[in-house]
Amino acid sequence: MAELSPTPPKGQQSIPFWRDGRVIGVLAQIAFVILVALGTAWLLRNVNDNIGALGSFRCADGTERFSCGFNFLRIDAQFDISESIIRYDPSDSYGRALVVGALNTLKVTVLGVILATILGTLAGIARLSTNWLVSNLAKWYVDFFRNTPLLLQLFFIYFGVILLFPGIQEAIQPFGLPIFLSQRGINLPGPVFMPSFAIWMAFLILGIIQAQVTWLFLGRQEQQTGRSSNRGLWAVASFLLVAILGWYIAGSTANSQGILLAKAARVREFSDLETLVLGRLPVSELGDIDTAVADGTLSPENLTAASLQICAVKEDSSEVNLTSQLRRAGIPYLVNRSDRLDQATEAFAAGDCEVLVATRAALAAERNVLENAANLSIVPIAETPVRIAVPRIEGLNFVGGIKLTPSFAAILIGLVLYTGAFIAEIVRAGIQSVPKGQTEAARALGLSESQRLRLVVLPQAMRVIIPPLTSQYLNLAKNSSLAIAVGFADLWAISYTTLNQSGRSVQVFMIVMAAYLTLSLTISFLLNWYNRRISLVER
Amino acid sequence: MTTWRESLQERVGNGREIHFDSGRFIRENITKSWIQTLWLIILTYLTIAYTISQFRSLPFTTGFVTLVWLVTVGLTIYNELTRSHNPMTLWLKNNLYSSITNTLLSLLLVLGIIAAVWAFIDYAFVRASFSRIPEEAQAILAQFQTPGANWGAVLDNMRNLMVFRYPREQTWRLWFVLVYVGVLLAGSTFVYSQERFRRHWLRQVLTGFWLITPLLTFGLLVGVVPVPGETIALLINLLIVLAGLVVLFFLSRLLLSRFPSLIMSFVVTVLWVAALILSVYRLSNNLTTILNPDIAWGGLLLTLIIAVFAIVASFPLGVLLALGRRSQIRGVPAWLTYGAAAVLAAYYIYNNTLPAFARASSILQQLVALWPLLFLVIAYLFQKYFRGNVVALFCTIYIESIRGVPLITVLFMSIILFPILLPKGMEILSTWRVMVAAALFAAAYLAENVRGGLQAIPKGQYEAADAIGLNTFQKYRLIILPQAIRTVIPAIVGQFIGLFKDTTLIAIVGLVELLGVANLISAQTDWLGVRREPYIFLMIIYFTGSWVMASSSRRLEKRLGVGER
Repeated sequence: MAELSPTPPKGQQSIPFWRDGRVIGVLAQIAFVILVALGTAWLLRNVNDNIGALGSFRCADGTERFSCGFNFLRIDAQFDISESIIRYDPSDSYGRALVVGALNTLKVTVLGVILATILGTLAGIARLSTNWLVSNLAKWYVDFFRNTPLLLQLFFIYFGVILLFPGIQEAIQPFGLPIFLSQRGINLPGPVFMPSFAIWMAFLILGIIQAQVTWLFLGRQEQQTGRSSNRGLWAVASFLLVAILGWYIAGSTANSQGILLAKAARVREFSDLETLVLGRLPVSELGDIDTAVADGTLSPENLTAASLQICAVKEDSSEVNLTSQLRRAGIPYLVNRSDRLDQATEAFAAGDCEVLVATRAALAAERNVLENAANLSIVPIAETPVRIAVPRIEGLNFVGGIKLTPSFAAILIGLVLYTGAFIAEIVRAGIQSVPKGQTEAARALGLSESQRLRLVVLPQAMRVIIPPLTSQYLNLAKNSSLAIAVGFADLWAISYTTLNQSGRSVQVFMIVMAAYLTLSLTISFLLNWYNRRISLVER
Repeated sequence: MTTWRESLQERVGNGREIHFDSGRFIRENITKSWIQTLWLIILTYLTIAYTISQFRSLPFTTGFVTLVWLVTVGLTIYNELTRSHNPMTLWLKNNLYSSITNTLLSLLLVLGIIAAVWAFIDYAFVRASFSRIPEEAQAILAQFQTPGANWGAVLDNMRNLMVFRYPREQTWRLWFVLVYVGVLLAGSTFVYSQERFRRHWLRQVLTGFWLITPLLTFGLLVGVVPVPGETIALLINLLIVLAGLVVLFFLSRLLLSRFPSLIMSFVVTVLWVAALILSVYRLSNNLTTILNPDIAWGGLLLTLIIAVFAIVASFPLGVLLALGRRSQIRGVPAWLTYGAAAVLAAYYIYNNTLPAFARASSILQQLVALWPLLFLVIAYLFQKYFRGNVVALFCTIYIESIRGVPLITVLFMSIILFPILLPKGMEILSTWRVMVAAALFAAAYLAENVRGGLQAIPKGQYEAADAIGLNTFQKYRLIILPQAIRTVIPAIVGQFIGLFKDTTLIAIVGLVELLGVANLISAQTDWLGVRREPYIFLMIIYFTGSWVMASSSRRLEKRLGVGER
């Protein structure tokens, strides 16, 4: 509506009230407010009638207060949650269960956003390739995943692919990589950080600063001489140099790792372990073990008996340090894990294993506790800042590395593939929105292809890409609630269980709505801030 | 002394000149940057490795494809060197072989695509069984080491997938609706698109038929029949209702011509709505339904019913929400807002905060007890961002709340909260709850799309409409909304396609629509554990549906000239 009718000048007939825009506006609002108030009062009365009986907003002292409605969050949850980032067991409260769910949703959302952006950008750029096959493959991917429902894709991935993976022993390894696809989900090698990682981190930061300095210095040189100096390559090279230097320095100066074993084993350093195990096997070299097992000279039981028996604490980085070195050397080993260091020491003292692995300080403390301390020696073990833990089958499960449960893998892969297709279209539209004249002018100026993309095309394309990208990220955050269909315990799944078990439907819905609204508002706030930063400053 | 180049040219050139500068070629295509060289080396290794591995599994096809690749690359190179392309090599050069990396990539991708397509055909046709008898299907599949698709599960359950538990003796209703809508659709595409029917009476007849279609199909599908024995009473009531509606029609024409004003239009609209509600109420005394939608509607039928209802019902609601959010009517004056907020704050401070302060045991509890001050904060925000406009406030709150929560939450809320929100004892079927929730959800998203279209209308249009004396209703109906909706047709159709796909979420809520039936198929004893094949079938259905909607929207856009003016 444009201008409201102005007051007529004096002396003229005034507008009758039933045609006066202002009066109608105010009357309409009053009528609207009355309607809404009446409707809300009616709804509230019904709610009161229906759940006043359940007494869910009733306090301990009999009064009805809004805040008392949320006292149920302190009751024990008494249901189990299949995967959680923080510690949880069924005796924790409903409130803690909901927090676990919120953290799981955050995990899926953050990982999903990162992976979907990478996939979508690659697919969007592929769509613009000159190669007919590449651009059509991207087109078929985008068309297929945008035109089929997400829930159907999730069901297919979960029930039709992941749950039909073979058992652990026959786990699929695509392309021979150490990635294991089995009924237990997807197991990938993962990094384990040793204590010397802190030192290496300092070197990495130094390296980044160094790369920046190189970049700026060479950039100034470029400006002065006018010749391009390939400064990207030099910056990356200097960073790598510092990083590699830091790796060796951190590794060699650190001496926190060690193993505890009997002096009788005559082990003074790591290579002596090889001699120790070789002595028990009928082969002359560790590399011959596989062939010996294959042609029967070495039975699996003998191999198990001859393997190095290790006691370790669960999820301890020292264990990964030792086992990755053992694996590299080809020494067979068996690990006996306990929950705490004192339990591991008990197992060692009881003779369950011959080697106890932990930090040297911890081992020294434990050795003092043991009886035959004089017969035990601590052997230092080398360490590097980061060790890669490769999944290994032990018993009925994989141990080590990154574990993606089937549900989590299904929801993550489903969300990434689905949202990636939408992001691909957005990126394609964004890049195509830059007028062709810009590309031609950039080429006329003599800019290289990478300069053209970096300095001319992408800044203009980003302005068109960011707003729809925001809504796609919001869609991903909201679609993560479909995890309930594949059995992943995200916020909605746990809220639904809470709702059914506690009966407080109104309160649980309020909490869920508030949580999702907060998540949506946070994502749009962050992206709107970025959008404002890159938007055109108009005259 | 002739150089090797000249002798080559003589022998192969066929009279044409060969242009090739090897140094420049290497500089531009291989060593232009270190990334290019690295990528070229990696790609060459990958291509050779993959070709060799494919050769082991599919020797003839791989050999044939590699041969074709070599021959075409050779031809293209020859034509490129002699600068005399024919159409085929020109297309190949531009699209597949434009650089060394592209050439290798093309071979790699063609082999990959062939492997994937062959694997799918193998699974879906060669190693598959199309028998509808479970034992026979098992026998066929047992022949292969890795059994293929068991399409019998889908073929045997086709009626379940389409209409699930719709009673067999009532199937004639479905066929009637299908034929009716089909004929109407065909007729409309013919009549509406032709210029000679612009003012034809046929057009108005068709529009009339479309207007009664929702009621008619709903009545048919839910099985509305007269209560046995009261057919005469029903006919009498029907006549009374029709007479009343005719009287109302002439009365409204008379009123609008005597008192043309916005308030009168509003009053007439209210009268019509009241009359329709009363007539439905009166007629419903003599009518009863024989089918229970919760039980009878299922499969693709339920998907289409919910999708169509949500799309149709969300459209007017969404437009109203968009207009409400952008409304410029004068808001509640500041003194009224702050006054009301102050009164409320004082009341609750006196009743709640002061006793809470006396009871409080920590700073946190004291701070929480100060919540009535939020009334003043809300009043300030209300005046600042909405200029006191209550309609805009409510529309904005509704739209942003619904858009911020997932659809599955809204569906569960409707299923669980509707019984609580309605008076005690009033029962409403799950199907109605889900349909209403889907419509309300879609309306919020549609409102945002329409709001984008409204923002694109130049202000001059509003001013011109005011200048020629149109009232608000005419202005929006004749000038603003046609332009706005035409601008956002792509977004709206995308929204509808999304809604069609989102009906799958209803399977989680408990109603058995298409995806729900597909899940049930694998639980049948005959087809235990057959999961992939129903899902593949569903993907085909959804893909086809979305594709048809998207392409008809593109045709509509072209006809309406979207993006041209």
